[in-house]
Amino acid sequence: MLTLDHISHRFGKKEILNDVDLTIADGSFTAILGPNGSGKTTMLRLIANLITPSAGCVLIDGKAASEYPVRQLAQKIAIVRQNAYTDIDFTAKQLVMMGRNPYQRPLQDDTPLDLQIVEQAMRQTKSWHLRDSLPTQLSGGELQRVMIARALAQQTPILLLDEPTSSLDVCHQFEIMELLRTINREQGKTILIVLHDLNLALRYCPETILLYNQQLYFHGPTSEALTSKNIATVFSITAIATPDSQLSLQPMPAGQ
Amino acid sequence: MKKRLPITISIILLLILLAATVIASLSVGVADISLEQLLHSPILWKLRMPRVLLAATAGAALATSGAVYQSVFRNPLTDPYVLGISSGASLGAALAILLGLEAYLVGVGAAALTTALLTMLLLFKTSTRTNRIDTNTLLLTGVCMTFLITAVISLLMALRHDKMESIIFWTMGSFSSASWLDLAILLPVTMLCLVPVLYHRKDLNLLLTGAETAQSLGLDVEKVRRRLLITTTLMVAFTVSACGVIGFVGLVVPHVVRLVAGTDNRRLIPLTILTGAIFLLLCDTLARILIPPNELPVGSITSLIGAPMFIYLLHKNHR
Repeated sequence: MLTLDHISHRFGKKEILNDVDLTIADGSFTAILGPNGSGKTTMLRLIANLITPSAGCVLIDGKAASEYPVRQLAQKIAIVRQNAYTDIDFTAKQLVMMGRNPYQRPLQDDTPLDLQIVEQAMRQTKSWHLRDSLPTQLSGGELQRVMIARALAQQTPILLLDEPTSSLDVCHQFEIMELLRTINREQGKTILIVLHDLNLALRYCPETILLYNQQLYFHGPTSEALTSKNIATVFSITAIATPDSQLSLQPMPAGQ
Repeated sequence: MKKRLPITISIILLLILLAATVIASLSVGVADISLEQLLHSPILWKLRMPRVLLAATAGAALATSGAVYQSVFRNPLTDPYVLGISSGASLGAALAILLGLEAYLVGVGAAALTTALLTMLLLFKTSTRTNRIDTNTLLLTGVCMTFLITAVISLLMALRHDKMESIIFWTMGSFSSASWLDLAILLPVTMLCLVPVLYHRKDLNLLLTGAETAQSLGLDVEKVRRRLLITTTLMVAFTVSACGVIGFVGLVVPHVVRLVAGTDNRRLIPLTILTGAIFLLLCDTLARILIPPNELPVGSITSLIGAPMFIYLLHKNHR
C-alpha cells in the first residue's frame, strides 16, 4: 500500500505541492492529471524518494520511503522517467539488464535468472528484437518500450510512469496503454501514470488523481473525476461527453 | 553486435604485453652496455627499474582516473586534471623550486603533494552542500581553481625569471628523476585507490544514465559518487606530485579502450588500467631513447603518438 501522508514540497520559495494526503490501493491503475506545473512529476519523484518532501512523508507498506535502503526501495518502486537519456553507448538489452541491479551485488555477473527476466520483460513490451540496438537507433516508441521493459525487469509491486505517451503517435499511445493495462491486470502491479490526454485516462485508468493549484483536487474513480465541471475548473476548457463515453474538448468561449 | 574477446583473455593479453614492454624498456637506453653487464649494473637497478615501474604506475593511475571522471561527470572531455589538482601540485612545486628545496631528496614532490591535497580539500569542501557533492559545482569550481592557481604560478615565474625554466620543466612532466622512494609511495597508493574503482565499476554504468535514474535503479548515488571522486582525485594528486603534469594519457586512453572494447565499465576499467600503464611506459621509453643523449618531454610523446592513433580509431569506427 502506498500512502502520501500530508505531503508538501517547495523549491526555494516556490510551492510545488501543498498538503497532499491520499492512499493508493494495491493493484490500482491510477492516472495523475493536471495542468502544466501542477506538481504531477514532483509527486512521482517524491514517491520514488528521488527528492525529499519539505513536510509529510511517503509511506510504502507502512514504512517511510526515506527509511528504505536505496536497493530495497528499487525492489519496491520502478519509475519510467520523461526524456530518457539516450546519448549512451549501451544496447537496449544492457539498459534493461540495469533493471536487475537492485538484486545484484557489485561484482556479480548477470545470472541466468537475470537474463531470463530481461528477455521476458523485453518480449512482453515487444522490444526483444531491438535488444542489440543502441538508443540512438530507436524510434521514440521503441525507446519507450525498452524503458518500460527495464522497469518491468525491476520486478517491483509499484510502477510509476511520467508521461510515457506524450511523444508518441496515436497508435503507439494505445499500444503502451494496452500493455500497461495487461500488466496491471495480469500481474496486479500498482500503476501510477502521469498523462495529458484525458481520453486515454478515461479509457484505461479506473482511478484518477486530479492536481490543481499545487493541491489535490480530486482522487477517485476516473468517471467521477472527469466531469465537465471539474475539467472546466482544473483545465479551463469545455468538455462534452460523447455517446461512447469519451470527451470532446473545446476551448472556453472568451470572457469566461 | 560486434563480437569481442572475452574479458579474461583480453586482460591476459594485455598483461603479457605489459610484461614485454617492461622488459623491452629495461633493456634499451642511452648507456651502451650488453645485456649481461646490464643485469649487474646500477643503471638497471638504480635508474631504469624504478623509472619503468613508476611510468607504468602513473599511466595506470592517470588513465583510470580519466575513465572514472568521464563516467561520473558524464562528460567525454574530462581528464584527470580538470579539477585543478594538477595546478595545485604545480603551485607547490613552483614554491619549492623558488625556495631552493630541489636539493632535498623529496622536497619538490612533497611540496607538490601538500598543495595538491590542499586544493583537493578546498575543492570538495566548497562543492559539498548538506553532505551531497554537486558534480556541476565541483567541475566548474575545479576549472576556476585551475585558472586561479595558474595565474599565481605565472606571477611567481614573472617575479623570478631565473627559476622559470625549472618550474616549466617540472610542470611539463618527466620520469627522469624517478627513484625507488617515488615508487614506494605511488605504487601502494595507486593500488589502494584502484580497489574501490574496480569494486564499483558496474555502478559507473548506472551513473552514466544520470543520478536520478541510477538511484531509482538501486544505486546509492551520493555515497558511491563521493567514494569514487575522492579516491581517483587522491590518485591524481599523488601521481602529479611524483612526475609532474603529463597530458593526454588520462583523456585519451579511456576513449581508445572504449572504441575497441565498448562503453561497459566492467570491461573498460580493468582494460584501461593495463592500457594506461603500457601506453605511458612506451611513451617514456621513446622519450629517453629517441634523441640520445637528450631526453624529450614525455608529455609531447604521449600526444604525438596518442592523437593520431585516436583519430584513426575514431574514423575507423565511424565507417
